[in-house]
Amino acid sequence: MAKNKQWAKKAFNLFLKYNTEFILLILIIVSSLISSAFFTERNIFNLLRQVSGTGIISMGMLLVILTSGIDLSVGSQLAVGSVFSAYFLTISSYSLPVSLFLAILICTFFGSVSGYLVSFRGMAPFVATLALMTITRGVAFIVSKGSPIIIDNPILMSFGNQYFLRIPYPVLLMIGIFIVVHLILRYTVFGRLVKAIGSNEVAVKLSGINVAYYKFAVYAISGAFAAVAGIISTARTGVGSPLVGQGLELDAIAAVVIGGASLKGGKGTAFKTLLGVLILGLIGNIMNLRNVPAYPQQVIKGLIIIFAVLFQGVKTGYENEG
Amino acid sequence: MAVHRIEMNNVSKSFGGVQALKNVTFKVSPGEIMALVGENGAGKSTLMKILAGAYTKDKGEILVDGKVVEINNPQKGRRLGINIIYQELTIVPDITVAENIFLSNLPAHNGIIQWSKLNQKAEELIQSIGFNINPKIIAGNLSVAHQQIVEICKALSHDARILILDEPTAVLAPSEVKILFKVLKNLKEKEVSIIYISHRLEEVLEIADRVTVLKDGEVTGTGIPKEMGKDNIINLMIGREITDMYPKRDVETGKEIFKIEKLKTDKVENVSFTVRAGEVFGIAGLVGSGRTEIAKAIFGVDPVQTGIIYLKNQPLKNKSPKEAVSKGIGMVPENRKEEGVILDMTVRENITMTTLKSISQLGFIKNRTESSFCQQLVEKLRIKTGSIDVPVNNLSGGNQQKVALAKWFGTNLKLIILDEPTRGIDVGAKVEIYKLINELSRQGLGVIMISSEMTEIIGMCDRAAVMHRGKMAGILEKDDLNEENIMRLAAGEDKNNGKK
Repeated sequence: MAKNKQWAKKAFNLFLKYNTEFILLILIIVSSLISSAFFTERNIFNLLRQVSGTGIISMGMLLVILTSGIDLSVGSQLAVGSVFSAYFLTISSYSLPVSLFLAILICTFFGSVSGYLVSFRGMAPFVATLALMTITRGVAFIVSKGSPIIIDNPILMSFGNQYFLRIPYPVLLMIGIFIVVHLILRYTVFGRLVKAIGSNEVAVKLSGINVAYYKFAVYAISGAFAAVAGIISTARTGVGSPLVGQGLELDAIAAVVIGGASLKGGKGTAFKTLLGVLILGLIGNIMNLRNVPAYPQQVIKGLIIIFAVLFQGVKTGYENEG
Repeated sequence: MAVHRIEMNNVSKSFGGVQALKNVTFKVSPGEIMALVGENGAGKSTLMKILAGAYTKDKGEILVDGKVVEINNPQKGRRLGINIIYQELTIVPDITVAENIFLSNLPAHNGIIQWSKLNQKAEELIQSIGFNINPKIIAGNLSVAHQQIVEICKALSHDARILILDEPTAVLAPSEVKILFKVLKNLKEKEVSIIYISHRLEEVLEIADRVTVLKDGEVTGTGIPKEMGKDNIINLMIGREITDMYPKRDVETGKEIFKIEKLKTDKVENVSFTVRAGEVFGIAGLVGSGRTEIAKAIFGVDPVQTGIIYLKNQPLKNKSPKEAVSKGIGMVPENRKEEGVILDMTVRENITMTTLKSISQLGFIKNRTESSFCQQLVEKLRIKTGSIDVPVNNLSGGNQQKVALAKWFGTNLKLIILDEPTRGIDVGAKVEIYKLINELSRQGLGVIMISSEMTEIIGMCDRAAVMHRGKMAGILEKDDLNEENIMRLAAGEDKNNGKK
């Protein structure tokens, strides 16, 4: 009896520790059972390509959330990145590298504005980035005059739709950015301090560290990543559109949270965030395969977020008791 | 024989294999002030949490008024009249005193708060324990001592018959302790049973009717404090004798390395003193007299309005802690858990927070260098932890404080400011902290030590400034450093009054 109980406790602990992994695993099993089309190479890479944009902005979002901030502007910034990259290519006729560089630079600038308001002006991250969200969406509309800008750059378009070793380029880019963020959080001073600031900003400040600099930096990085996601969108669709990325900031936040990060900051990893992105993408994918209409899809997605985070609640509550 | 208010018989509790309490028997009579003492980790808090229903016991029985009860949640405890007042107060700072007191049962009619009734009831309650606080004041504006009184009133509003005070005087100045004791004596007359947890044995001797000593989860003695004597109680607590509470320091003080001239901020004014290399300079005074504010001004947290701060004869204009640290000033803040350490992060991550530059290359942390650096400090400072990768939260208060100190050991310091370095930690750990302070002074650092404990200032400092209401009341040299002089200055009685 006692042994059984102990075993159950151990299994439960294991489940709590790897709850994000378990949820993903369960979803994969369920998906492959209910749809024979799921486990095809085509579908898997399609799925990965679909989530690559969300995946990249989620990495920026993770950094921001680790400092106990939030960045609501990334969806709009994605549109800015998309529109500007197309604008510079098509209308300004700049070369590809220059166009992409400038698009990223512009989003980094807007991210820096959020960062400045939050870290040097003491504005609440929610408010500052909410303002930037509407400003940048507006900028995307102004620059594109409200309509999509069509591109005809073959290199960029093939980047969006071609494969390297059978893996789509955008997926490779997402993996690359994931690895960079993972390394930053794991091995660098910057990563350590980002987490430390989210855990206890005052203690970090009193250790003689310029907290504002790090808080500023995460918003700038988040902006740059949003631009990259915007460029992917342009590459995939062949147009720079001011409409893309609406509501994507919420998907990114959801992915980070499903990955076990705390909105209070200090807790979260790049790997689990990536799992969160995959979980969200998978839910959409399988429902599309089963032809579930869009509206119920949203309800089910929300329920799964609740479910995933409830388990984390159990986890922290459980740990606190000991 | 009269029935005990509380009777805990053979209570045991373990956490994941660690036996926190072993067959503890603990009894309190109505109207009795029962002290509970022991080192950190001795099991005092665990025992009290079991009594209040925050933890459940593994074995044993609890009787309230002679009846066996099962207290399996805090609500149940409260219904039995058991209330704990924790060291960290749970006042809601943005609402009034009256609202705080009656937070869980605001007098309302159809959901609308009856303010006049609320304020009247609060005022009656505060006065009933011999006090006078305006119930309409916003609670966050009160001093810590008064917040504590509010907290006690809150407990009484639940008809508390058993009041547990966890380290109530840790944040109080001596005069405020007297106020608290007066309140406790009033409560005693009303037949309230009080369990008083404290590290300060002088207080136990003064206020408690009986004392129970815990060591490693077991009761090592129960008796009347005055009959047992302080030394005997310490023996029971730590199992050895502390002959030298304040270890001797044989350091020749060197040149003057730090000087403040007529410092004025929006919290303090007229502060001037010097600190020599190897000197421990104390800042005494009541809570709220501006001691911490001096530290904050030196460290670049609060802006300096007028006055000059010199470090090694160079004027300092610290606009941020970063600048202060880069010039060689370190600070261990008074609120260990909120400001001193990052509880969720590991011992390693906390220790190297100040030295990340020297243990990294191109922004990457050199793992081995960091490990060996931390390992050395953990051994040197005798920080008790399973490994350097354990969250600081899992350490006892004394060891957390050592981590807060360890942060500064690897930096190139000239001056360190210690704000209440031994608050809320046990006797054994205190002595170790004192030894570390001596070690720092031996290395030629200037040490500024802020403390509410006069004996600590007297025992540790070469000289001390005393603050009174935001102004420096005077500096006492070693020979004049005694409780009487400190109190006189802290209370604002000018030395020269008689002479002029």
